[in-house]
Amino acid sequence: MILETLEATNFRNLSGKITCAAGLNIIAGDNGHGKTNWLEAIYLLATTKSFKTARLTEAVNFGETLAIVRGIVRQSAGISRSVQVAIEGNTKILTVNDKRETVQRFLGQLHALLFNSDELSIVRGSPDARRKFLDGGIVAIFPAFIQTLSDFNRTLRQKNALLQKAHKDELSLEETAKRLEPWNEQLIQNAAKIHKARVRYVERLNEDLEKQLFEKEVVSIRYLSSLEGKGDLNNYAELLEERLKIRVQAELSAGYSLIGPHRDDLEISFDGRDLRKFGSSGQQRSALLILQLSTLSAYFSQHNEYPLFLLDDIDAELDYKRIGRLLEFLSDKTQTFVTTSKESFVQRFGAGAEIINVKNGEALRAETVSNFEI
Amino acid sequence: MLEYSEPVAKLIDEFKRLPGIGHKSAQRLAFFILRLPNEKVESFVSALREVKEKIVFCDVCNNLTDVNPCMYCASQSRDRSIICVVEEPYNLVAVEKTRSYKGLYHILHGSLSPIRGIGPDELMISNIFPRLSPENNDDVEVKEVIIATNPTTEGEATANYLARLLKPLGVKTTRIAMGMPVGSDLEFVDEVTMDKAMSNRREM
Repeated sequence: MILETLEATNFRNLSGKITCAAGLNIIAGDNGHGKTNWLEAIYLLATTKSFKTARLTEAVNFGETLAIVRGIVRQSAGISRSVQVAIEGNTKILTVNDKRETVQRFLGQLHALLFNSDELSIVRGSPDARRKFLDGGIVAIFPAFIQTLSDFNRTLRQKNALLQKAHKDELSLEETAKRLEPWNEQLIQNAAKIHKARVRYVERLNEDLEKQLFEKEVVSIRYLSSLEGKGDLNNYAELLEERLKIRVQAELSAGYSLIGPHRDDLEISFDGRDLRKFGSSGQQRSALLILQLSTLSAYFSQHNEYPLFLLDDIDAELDYKRIGRLLEFLSDKTQTFVTTSKESFVQRFGAGAEIINVKNGEALRAETVSNFEI
Repeated sequence: MLEYSEPVAKLIDEFKRLPGIGHKSAQRLAFFILRLPNEKVESFVSALREVKEKIVFCDVCNNLTDVNPCMYCASQSRDRSIICVVEEPYNLVAVEKTRSYKGLYHILHGSLSPIRGIGPDELMISNIFPRLSPENNDDVEVKEVIIATNPTTEGEATANYLARLLKPLGVKTTRIAMGMPVGSDLEFVDEVTMDKAMSNRREM
């Protein structure tokens, strides 16, 4: 899929229209003029969400009531569709070819992967960010997995409420165990599915990780189940059931659920050492990129096409040598959007790319600006 | 200060207690009532009063009824050896519409949900056990209990809880199937339902 054009009206400070190249697109401009807002607009079309805020109303330009982001997506040689997200108050209106669509169907139109400094939490933040990274990648390949996750989380919330009440009411261990059983049974079913999907996905990512992008930087990942060392992980459901039985008292005392895939992690090693503890921030950035490139490959092996790749403030995150290798690697694969505030970046990597100059939110093709300057 | 005079504000508050009614709908309903002729309001009020006075829980199956036991439990033509367990009285109506189920019912009036403070004691479960003895069931032995709670996390947990209590008593306990809606096209079915339907497939 290729994003051919992108228009924004009252979405943050944006105005104008971008015509996108199938390969590299460089969004250039001074800081504070809205480069990232254009990436956010693309991200919105792909996910119906923003990576900056959970409340989309904040993305409507001050004093306006309706914001529109619209793009033309080429699905195949003969099929292009217009996709649009309109934000009016608290409602989000999604249309494909000017007809309203459900979120589920809309989400199939455009896919994008984002690289920015917030995403670094995957390599340096809490396990939660790494679980989300894995789950997001799995959902992009198997959309039905989202229901498994949602059922699991719902069961977990119900179980925690039950444990809290049992704790408060001083319910006996036997009675608690009896009441926990129906929730644990569903927990086990969904946990086993989640465990299997994540382990397989990590295997898949690892296969692609072997193709190294940057010399001498060997990244490897391993799914770290919280049940590791407690028994046979190949019989996950049985093992979890056994552990849940043994730990009823502990869960009752804690007042919340202690065992399950919501306690798992992804171990990322860089040259054989734990990246989170020993990696420099440059190494962490490289590792995140390598992880994301393998996410792209895993996506490709399922869909036979790549999602869009959005890289925010790329020169703040990576040196020119790495950027050069990265862009070369991506050149025959993804439609790529990068933002930069440096003219030297444009001069070095701009050949053959579409260059979009952003001033006060307005997008202008560099050729139409008499003197390209930043 | 109140937006409306006290009687109107009070009526709006009462309407807001109803499920699915927000502030705007409550206002609309209140003004609709205000514009009604007196006799219509009277008949509305008496309908409310009557429903509370005359409708009781069936002693046997917990159905809401104006005769006790209810028409299903009292009927001579129904198969007393099968009990279908549902969450709400309107679920009973849905099963009844099939016209193919001729057994009896048991209504739980809800499903397990610790988040909402609903445990086994808050559901009408306990009176199903005496029903399994022939002496309480016109000398007919109950051969099967069909659990037809909703296919939600809460409905599944409720089904599971019940099955754990019923199975040791030796009664056959079954769960309704989940999958494709009949008469619809494969393309209109969401991925999750399709996934369920695939894993619950049967041999032909």
